[in-house]
Amino acid sequence: MADFQTSTHRSRWIFSPEDLVEKHETANQRAAKMLEQYGTTRLEVSVDGSLSYPEPIHDQRENERQSTSKPLSCEEEQLMQVFYEQKIQEVCGAFMFPHKNSGMGIMATAIIYFKRFYLQWSVMEHHPKHIMLTCIYASCKVEENHVSAEELGKGIQQDHKMILNNEMLVLQSLGFDLIVYAPYRPIEGFVADMEEFCQSRIDEPSKFKDLIETAKSEVDKIMLTDAPLLFPPGQLALAALCRSNEVHRVLDFCYLEGIFNRQCASHSTLELTESLKAVDFLVEKLKIPTAKDMRHIDRKLKNCLDPSSVDESKKREKRSKHKSKRTGSETHGVPSEM
Amino acid sequence: MGDGRGGGGGNRPAWLQLYDLVGKIGEGTYGLVFLARPKQRKGCIAIKKFKQSKDGDGVSPTAIREIMLLREINHENVVKLVNVHINHADMSLYLAFDYAEHDLYEIIRHHREKLNHPINQYTVKSLLWQLLNGLNYLHSNWIIHRDLKPSNILVMGDGEEHGVVKIADFGLARIYQAPLKPLFENGVVVTIWYRAPELLLGAKHYTSAVDMWAVGCIFAELLTLKPLFQGVEVKATPNPFQLDQLDKIFKVLGHPTPEKWPTLVNLPFWQTDLQHIQGHKYDNAGLHSYVHLPQKSPAYDLLSKMLEYDPRKRISAAQALEHEYFRLDPLPGRNALVTSQPGEKAVNYPARPVDTTTDFEGTASVQQPMSANAIPGGVTAQSMAGPRPGPRQISMVGMQRMPVGSMAAFNIPSQAGMNLNPGGIPMQRGPAGQAHPQQLRRKDPAMGMQNPGYPQQKRRF
Repeated sequence: MADFQTSTHRSRWIFSPEDLVEKHETANQRAAKMLEQYGTTRLEVSVDGSLSYPEPIHDQRENERQSTSKPLSCEEEQLMQVFYEQKIQEVCGAFMFPHKNSGMGIMATAIIYFKRFYLQWSVMEHHPKHIMLTCIYASCKVEENHVSAEELGKGIQQDHKMILNNEMLVLQSLGFDLIVYAPYRPIEGFVADMEEFCQSRIDEPSKFKDLIETAKSEVDKIMLTDAPLLFPPGQLALAALCRSNEVHRVLDFCYLEGIFNRQCASHSTLELTESLKAVDFLVEKLKIPTAKDMRHIDRKLKNCLDPSSVDESKKREKRSKHKSKRTGSETHGVPSEM
Repeated sequence: MGDGRGGGGGNRPAWLQLYDLVGKIGEGTYGLVFLARPKQRKGCIAIKKFKQSKDGDGVSPTAIREIMLLREINHENVVKLVNVHINHADMSLYLAFDYAEHDLYEIIRHHREKLNHPINQYTVKSLLWQLLNGLNYLHSNWIIHRDLKPSNILVMGDGEEHGVVKIADFGLARIYQAPLKPLFENGVVVTIWYRAPELLLGAKHYTSAVDMWAVGCIFAELLTLKPLFQGVEVKATPNPFQLDQLDKIFKVLGHPTPEKWPTLVNLPFWQTDLQHIQGHKYDNAGLHSYVHLPQKSPAYDLLSKMLEYDPRKRISAAQALEHEYFRLDPLPGRNALVTSQPGEKAVNYPARPVDTTTDFEGTASVQQPMSANAIPGGVTAQSMAGPRPGPRQISMVGMQRMPVGSMAAFNIPSQAGMNLNPGGIPMQRGPAGQAHPQQLRRKDPAMGMQNPGYPQQKRRF
């Protein structure tokens, strides 16, 4: 693969935590302002891929009605993104892309596209369901695993035209920086290296297999956090391996020391440990949205995108209020504080 | 970023208005290449238009592949992508490159048809060295070009970079680790004259060695002014097996044998087509007589190492750069088109031919134009209706204004995809915004080597 050191991934798409907050806030506030001024946040993408913006409100009565739509908060947007990032993993898993490894690549690439896209846009402007599909579609093209939009749409019972309509928008929003480095491959690299390092001391080679498998599922979790926008893939892989090692206890920490001794002193052990801790922290505090969260956010989003349906949905909301309370408790995952 | 409202997105020129079209300079299966002059700055731009993918399946994968690679590449001997423009009306992409006035195809042709004398030694050596230098960069970044031929090797005209080689056309290029599909599955016809024997024999897994074979063919062509292996292509089937091409190679280089090329026996067509391929016998290898080089000369030695049958034994770009040939007089230089001796007269190469009777095909939209920049907040509802499209066809004579279509100016932003630059300022990939911990990985010290250390300087590998 082209070199990460000189890549656009490294030079343009790794941020500080403050950057991320600022970008998300900017997009959120822009959409909120649009909602206030125009009564809706939906940006229509037409057949030719161009965007059209809502008409400003002149009608006084309409204006009053619009005020009932509340914009999503940054936290709600974040939850919604996590939800659809999980969906990307699900869809990619269901599609069973031919080779296991390239399947991982497609999935990771699609999630990173999705994250980068929503650094610039609010979910109130472009519905994440559409963007999710387009990201998977684009990622398949890039990873040399071309799936036709029609096929992809069919596979998940979605209109494939939406995928095509959004393609140019997504590519453009990504600045055409399409080569991304997923943390899955480095895991294999590290483990190969560990095997060499520990050869004499480990008597069960099968342990490494477990180590890899658990590490990959740890990467799956890491992919749902902000970490891929904050740290290079090698560090994400290492963080996943450390988490996996806590389960399997294959290695002691001197392996890490070993890595440093071979590096050209561009980082200290301390810096790396800090990064790994930070990734760990992000995984621990990862909030998986519950079905209840999603229902609430979805309803809000629907109001933002399509205010004319607001009265209708209000009625439904009342009717289903009792019911939703009951089902909310059945959902798994970390409970939301909202 | 501000919301940009009222900024008058509609007053922003459609990107076409940034250029004056000069004419068409190339045409391929992927689309067309135009020569244009930016109004805002000096120098010329080559604009490559990609056709829409045929099957209604969105943006052309070839375009995507080329853009994504070019975005990661930065080397003196590789073309520089200056801008990406989008035509929303037909979902086509336009890539803008720094214009190179010459290419090896035209340079060779000029010598063959007009001058009737060979290209001078210094120029041949400099062109070859720079070609290898760019290729070494690509290969150390795990990129195989796969379609090297004289018309894809550009040379800069007058100016600061005069005589500098630029490798172009990455439509077929691949990153090694992506599953490589055999060429014929791409549905793209590639000239077979520069195709490596392992490809012709049906190898599915190929390496950077295929590019080195092509370089060998180009080297020979620079010396003799005619293609070394001019096979007749069978176009009827999308088949990599081209018997005549193999025959032409065998005639010059002798028959490959499993003794010299052990994996030969594993290649599909060697197996299945014993009769045809192995039928003729060519024993007298006569490469030196074809290229008129003494067998003991360093040039011949280098050439024969590039045209080694076994891809695993074939010389690599990095090794070739170290070859003795490049350390002997005349030493290669940065400007390949000047002369090495003071008394010698420099050849005045004609620029690539420009067809001025054409326009940016399909740029004028017949649909209702909805020009929009995908810039968050950058467009207002009112500003959405772009400028009216001009007449669909304007006859073009020489310099020509281009019809205004429903184009969105798009400049690859210098900051993490945020500040899309409306002013048509050339993109620049900035260095990392902040110091970032480097990725943990052992690194080949030659990787990413940017400095074209010409042989007269000290180089480290």
